[in-house]
Amino acid sequence: MSFREKSAWITLVTVLVCFGAYFGAIATGLVSARGFDTLHLLLACVVGLVLLQVALTVIAAATTPKDGRAPRDERETLIQLRSQSLGYSVLVLLVLALFIPGHLGHTVIDMMNFALLDVVLAVLTVAVAQIVMFRRGA
Amino acid sequence: MDAKRLPIANQIRRLRFEHGEMTQSELAEKIGMTRQTVAAVEAGKYSPSLEAAFRIAHVFGATLDDVFQWEGP
Repeated sequence: MSFREKSAWITLVTVLVCFGAYFGAIATGLVSARGFDTLHLLLACVVGLVLLQVALTVIAAATTPKDGRAPRDERETLIQLRSQSLGYSVLVLLVLALFIPGHLGHTVIDMMNFALLDVVLAVLTVAVAQIVMFRRGA
Repeated sequence: MDAKRLPIANQIRRLRFEHGEMTQSELAEKIGMTRQTVAAVEAGKYSPSLEAAFRIAHVFGATLDDVFQWEGP
């Protein structure tokens, strides 16, 4: 498995774990969606995400040292462009869909969480698309 | 989960064998690509750029036609 594919897996797993914990805590009522608890949890999740990604990327680079140092080749660049294009389309659709909860009278905090969820889903789309394309060959 | 095969055949595997059983990693290093990309080209799952195709042919001291053949309609 190439370093770039490992990076895509790292993004997928870390974002799922960290933001899964964040949105899971809100959805189950573990933390109140209104108040500083949510903000503190979000900060903890973002810090956790960064630390996890850095640690796992260092391990991935150590296990594939040549790939880790080398710039992307043309196929990896193509995969990156295609996956980001798909992620952008998903993000645009999800942002447009934000008018639905807006019309249903959700609070500003709820809307911010929905917007954050949109970004997270777009990032996951990019990571999954990259993994699929790496597995398929291109 | 295989990608659709491209209408371009290639002789990379044979040429590697004829050039001292060159590995995919060695070829990848010579043309500035990853081993996975060379494997994808060799398996007909990825069409390299014209520049990369020339680089591959150059490594084997062959022409583009010796390495890649169009198999489409």
